[in-house]
Amino acid sequence: MKQMKTKFTGTQKLWYVAIFMIVACAFNPMYGQSDQKTSTEVAQKERIIKGLISDEQGPLPGVNITLKGTNIGVATNVKGEFTFPKALKNGDILLVSYLGYKTTEVKIKPETNFVKLVISEEIIEFMGSLNTNKRYKSKRKN
Amino acid sequence: MNTIKYIFLFIFVFQLNAQKSDFSTITFEKADRIALEYKNEKLTNLPELAYKLTSDLTTDVERFRAIFKWVCSNVANDYYLYSKNMRKRQRYKNDSVRLKDWNDEFKKVIFQKLRRNNRTICTGYAYLIKELANLANIDCEIVHGFAKTSTINIETLDVPNHSWNAVKLSGKWYLCDPTWASGIPDPESAQFEFQFNDGFFLSDPNIFAVNHFPVDEKWSLLNDDQPSFNTFLDAPIIYNKAYTYFSNHNAPKKLHTDIRKNEHVIFKLQLLKSVKKEDVNLLIDTTFTSKKIHPESISIKDQSLTIDYTFDTTGYYDVHLYVKDDLISTYTVEVNK
Repeated sequence: MKQMKTKFTGTQKLWYVAIFMIVACAFNPMYGQSDQKTSTEVAQKERIIKGLISDEQGPLPGVNITLKGTNIGVATNVKGEFTFPKALKNGDILLVSYLGYKTTEVKIKPETNFVKLVISEEIIEFMGSLNTNKRYKSKRKN
Repeated sequence: MNTIKYIFLFIFVFQLNAQKSDFSTITFEKADRIALEYKNEKLTNLPELAYKLTSDLTTDVERFRAIFKWVCSNVANDYYLYSKNMRKRQRYKNDSVRLKDWNDEFKKVIFQKLRRNNRTICTGYAYLIKELANLANIDCEIVHGFAKTSTINIETLDVPNHSWNAVKLSGKWYLCDPTWASGIPDPESAQFEFQFNDGFFLSDPNIFAVNHFPVDEKWSLLNDDQPSFNTFLDAPIIYNKAYTYFSNHNAPKKLHTDIRKNEHVIFKLQLLKSVKKEDVNLLIDTTFTSKKIHPESISIKDQSLTIDYTFDTTGYYDVHLYVKDDLISTYTVEVNK
């Protein structure tokens, strides 16, 4: 069976695509056109993040908040609060680190403006063996 | 097809000996210089410290080196903490509840000491190495286990007493002992003397197994050659400097040897670097005397040092192997008629 009718030439194809695109744009609801909307979009992209870090007992001062892969960071104040010094965007990862506690990663999501986090202590058993260069002396029977 | 065969051969054969010489083309000068540059940094901000130590280095082994060198040169071993912990651990060893309570309390003290004074004990070193390495995206684990030194009483070595690290570099696991790499505490003055020992950085698993026994045996990295706990307890004593010169200790397998008069003992170790025959000595102690001997029969062949020594007098001897002035190992020999 020959289907001659369905064959298009290259120029025809181009036309159909062009018309389709114009139609798609024309009937699509208007997004991101007003000025106000644009500014919230930017705010969504880059914004100042604040937060509160605590452990089981309460707010924890001196906790380091660092942007992963950089040297940019801040420590929590006596109330366990912080304001990150750099505007952050979605997908950025903050490292929350305090010696003796598990390092936690916090991913900045579209809805993240305030990070509230309870960090937990490391579960670790401490032991130590003394290093020495003292010459061995055997305990003799006699 | 042949190429594939060789690639497989390369992967599997060269996987076996994970040690520092794998990176012989890399010098650690830059990493060591960076570690030195940040001397006096505090431990109050680990992410920042990890960034400072590693961001200018291009390979993982150099990054890990900078971390290792920094920790070993800036964190002191706290003798007071060590002895207090050992006493409590011995006392509560059969009482898991009290041991846990003690550990929870001690943990707080340890971390506070680290933050404020840069002082710790073994697990603190291993913990810092792991944390800093992880912050630099390097896979690193703490290994708990038993360690044997010349002053440890083997009869009471029934609870784990030491912690060290395993680190994954270029897809392979390596061993290191940051506590022992950092220096030596003086039990009398409780002072710590920094003395970096390169031998504990990516050590050969064979020599490592002579005085380290991991609780989780996979961390021996020796596959099927992992010695049993009793073999480990019976092994000769090796000292810090053994790691500077040697990659393995082959013979004698035990600390103690019983022989008859005029029989000989063979000492055999694998060399990491070349030593001169005239630098190899034995120091032989009896109860009252101490005699330095340069053995006649020493052979150095294929990176292997062999000493063949004949005992011609009966007695009980502590035999110490020295290279130059460096104490390597100790054996006891009883010579009977």
